[in-house]
Amino acid sequence: MSTEASTADFLKAAERVEIQGLKLELIVKGAGSPLLFLHGMDGVEGCSRIIDLLARDFTVYAPSHPGFGGSELPRAFSTIDDLAYFYLDLLDHFDLRGVTVVGFSLGGWIAAEILVKDTSRVSRLVLGAPLGLRTAEGRVRQVADIFMLHPKEVAAAMQLTPTADNVPLAELPESLLERIARNAEAVCLFGWSPYLYNPKLHLRLHRIRVPTVLLWGEQDRLAPLDYAKSFVAGLGQARLETLEACGHRIYVDRPEAAAARIVNFA
Amino acid sequence: MKVWQFSEQAYHPAFDVPGAMRVTLSASHCDPAVAGTLLNRYLDEYVLADELGFGIMVNEHHAAATCMSTSCMTTLAILARQTRKARLLALGIPIANRSNPVRVAEEIAMVDVLSGGRLEVGMVKGAAYEVFMSNRLPARFSDRFWEAHQLIMEALRNTGENFSWDSENYQYRAVSLWPRPLQQPTPPVWMTSSSAFSSVEHARFDYTCATFLSGAVARVVFEGYRKAYLEAHGRPAPEKRLAYLGVVATAGDRKTAFERAEQMKGYFTTAARLDVQFRNPPGFNPVKANVKMMQAGPNAVRPRLRSGAPLPADPTIEQYIDAGLMFVGTPAEVYEQIKQFYVDVGGFGNLLMMGQAGTLSHADTVDNLTLFAREVMPRLENISLDAPNVHYEAFA
Repeated sequence: MSTEASTADFLKAAERVEIQGLKLELIVKGAGSPLLFLHGMDGVEGCSRIIDLLARDFTVYAPSHPGFGGSELPRAFSTIDDLAYFYLDLLDHFDLRGVTVVGFSLGGWIAAEILVKDTSRVSRLVLGAPLGLRTAEGRVRQVADIFMLHPKEVAAAMQLTPTADNVPLAELPESLLERIARNAEAVCLFGWSPYLYNPKLHLRLHRIRVPTVLLWGEQDRLAPLDYAKSFVAGLGQARLETLEACGHRIYVDRPEAAAARIVNFA
Repeated sequence: MKVWQFSEQAYHPAFDVPGAMRVTLSASHCDPAVAGTLLNRYLDEYVLADELGFGIMVNEHHAAATCMSTSCMTTLAILARQTRKARLLALGIPIANRSNPVRVAEEIAMVDVLSGGRLEVGMVKGAAYEVFMSNRLPARFSDRFWEAHQLIMEALRNTGENFSWDSENYQYRAVSLWPRPLQQPTPPVWMTSSSAFSSVEHARFDYTCATFLSGAVARVVFEGYRKAYLEAHGRPAPEKRLAYLGVVATAGDRKTAFERAEQMKGYFTTAARLDVQFRNPPGFNPVKANVKMMQAGPNAVRPRLRSGAPLPADPTIEQYIDAGLMFVGTPAEVYEQIKQFYVDVGGFGNLLMMGQAGTLSHADTVDNLTLFAREVMPRLENISLDAPNVHYEAFA
């Protein structure tokens, strides 16, 4: 199946729920204890494989973040904080308890921002190559600036797996193009400046006291393994697990291995 | 028709450097002594334009060899004292890229009083890639543009007590312009447009609407403006509210004019040299527009020839003329080309004339401006759609 067809198929399961007046695109899949899955910069559709794998052991709640995919973006939303508070409302809305929170990349940043505020409904946390801590200092940049890179360089920085098919954009269905445009705009809104971080997050990470695992691709060229150190230091009790033959998009390069680690951890 | 002289004030010695001319071009390619000589030369040409009866238009860009004017108001502050008669047009100030709109208003007011009330102010969204230098958020750019516009206008218009201001992006305790502008209630305001949709707001505000190097699209922009103007004000839009920017190369003989045009063509070839990721940062344009762009592919934004075909990648001077981007030839030929374009787009009252562009030398620029002022400008003064011998020929 082409990427385009499998994306369309995956999104068929999406429903629309209204939480605090916000119409959210949400995929609920599988059976077992609740797992809140927070996608990365390429939208929930980019994580379809790992979501399907996790649904074998969990009831996975996989929303499109407000502004991404088919989820509304309230005009007042402008920071990751807004998303974090919204997801606390989501946990209340479904009255979820003992939740495993999993976030990759941008979603890892959102997960951290949720948990520094309130961990009462959460039992454990998995951060896959999260962003959100300082990405540059003075002239030294630690996380590659996707806005300054050629699209091909961005693709190479994101994943080791070659991009599946080379269908020209113009030939994709309009609904998919709209998702691509909305995802890119939302990443820009939340991550343009400061670039993909909250300068206050490092002061608050110690508040996350639930068991935490950090997953990191050994060949992550967007946020190199060295960047993980500040998360390890800030979280205190977190365990860092690396994955071989894996870039930034862990959910693309090593979905089976990552899902297995999450299942074992839980 | 009023004619304005415009130059991007390029650092043309860098045109030979391979690769992009904007955003990523290293400043190591800039010899500041050469830059100083060139900037002084362009200012001399503006002073000449003043003497010849042109209006003066300046713009600004950042991190670009194609344009060394990094601040409209800095350039105009110099020309406010060095010119005597010319209207001074900043087109424009990229207000959504400025972090401090009150400072923008202060600079407007200062140049207006310095020039004896000759300033005209363009507030523009500007080129998308400028956000990489300003670092201002590309998303919600248009909202921030109108927010900054409102604050700047409030500051310029204010003749009462000082005021405080609080909006999404801007907060001030005391807004007070010293000096305040000479022209009341404000200097004339200009904006730019490249679609019928975006000219609607400009018409409602009764601002002058300019379109740059857009060829046949100018007709659509002007039509949108005229329609919205009539609806908003109950009278037809005056021609002086419409402006078109094109490149002009004239000379005593056709061959020399075409040689000058070849030098000026460097403007088009260098302006396009920009890496793809900087052309349309996410959020700068609305989602719907971005979807359309993805569907249309890279040819969508190319200007069109009269036949409707897109302008080819490396057009000839004849093709630039055909597309309405250049007016080239003897003064009589240039007049005929401008008149034809004027008729084709339904009339406009301002020609923003790139009388210097690319690598065109000082001597050639002086001759270009002088000849145009002597032989073309007087004939354009009373150009009118009602005049005899004007034949309507719509663009394909």
